[in-house]
Amino acid sequence: MSKEFAVRNIRLCTKDCLCLYVCPTGATDTENSIIDTDKCVGCGKCAAACPSGAISMVPKALPPQRSHSGNVTAAMRALLRSKTEQERIAASLPGALAAALAKSCRIQAEDIIREAGYMLPQSGNTHAFLKKLAGNPPSADFPKEAAETLLRLLPDNDAPL
Amino acid sequence: MKQYVCSVCGYIYDEAKGIPGAGIAPGTKWESLPAGWKCPLCGAPATAFREAGAKAEAPKPAAVLHASSDQHELTPLEMSVLCSNLARGCEKQYKSAEAALFTELAQYFQAAAEPAEDPELDALLALIDRDLDGDIPVARAAADAEPRDRGALRALTWSEKVTRIQKSLLERWQEEGPAMLKNTGVWVCTICGFIYIGSEPPALCPVCKVPGWKFEKVEGRAL
Repeated sequence: MSKEFAVRNIRLCTKDCLCLYVCPTGATDTENSIIDTDKCVGCGKCAAACPSGAISMVPKALPPQRSHSGNVTAAMRALLRSKTEQERIAASLPGALAAALAKSCRIQAEDIIREAGYMLPQSGNTHAFLKKLAGNPPSADFPKEAAETLLRLLPDNDAPL
Repeated sequence: MKQYVCSVCGYIYDEAKGIPGAGIAPGTKWESLPAGWKCPLCGAPATAFREAGAKAEAPKPAAVLHASSDQHELTPLEMSVLCSNLARGCEKQYKSAEAALFTELAQYFQAAAEPAEDPELDALLALIDRDLDGDIPVARAAADAEPRDRGALRALTWSEKVTRIQKSLLERWQEEGPAMLKNTGVWVCTICGFIYIGSEPPALCPVCKVPGWKFEKVEGRAL
């Protein structure tokens, strides 16, 4: 099995369609413009031929995510709490500015938690988080199946071999 | 002749050069800029500028992490942020099924979070000030210690700039009220959270430099 697969960023695609000519399996020719991962053999010919740089080769296995020091994680977690408090207040207020503030706080908070140790969905701490939720759902209406499916679909990069 | 730097986007107003294209003649002193003048790149008010070369205030040594640092328990909204972040992480890898599942979890936790009891702009401003005076400089000091954590420093640089524009917009709202947004739009950069007021998004995000199509127009509930 190949180690990579091709993906197309439709915002960058200028429809030169060289990928259709060079693809040995027809994986790039689809009605929804998403490269068919079942057909893609990971040869990289489409990405090399694409004049607009819209196709990238993505590895199937990713390296473990970087770790952060305890001090950095603690400081980022404190800022995360503050940003979520701000989102909570802004989301309770009417008007476009309040909605923009809530959205802005969410985007910052996502970035902050990413740099506080939760960058990769395939990481050990994400797995631990999902396992805890699936094993001990916080409420009866918790979508347990979503957590269980994610545990099945995502590999754990930090698991011992 | 002096220069003044925008603390949000880094734009430099140079008194010697002025901005002839905008009717500000070369040699126009900072103090003589028209009332209500805003940064031509990001829209920050004149109060967000600092004189070039002026020493940044050292972080207050008394600043300590406020009582949030329970390392083990995330609040429901924090879990929602964790899940929406992981949804984005899946999207970037073109894993749409996984992204949809993380979004479902993010929505569950968002609905589980209690709404703010007494939502007030003043409370929001107080938290923003606390970030700028405490949480962000403290986190910056932690990330700047050896071995330097440049990923965290990058996130903090963006967040500080975005928090400054949030503060200036809130202060403008308190002065001008809804008139501030008459006949114009509100845009949010989906990458760094920068907020822009205008009928069209900027060509480039002044904070994280992504192209304008990464901005989303925000409507919000009726006032």
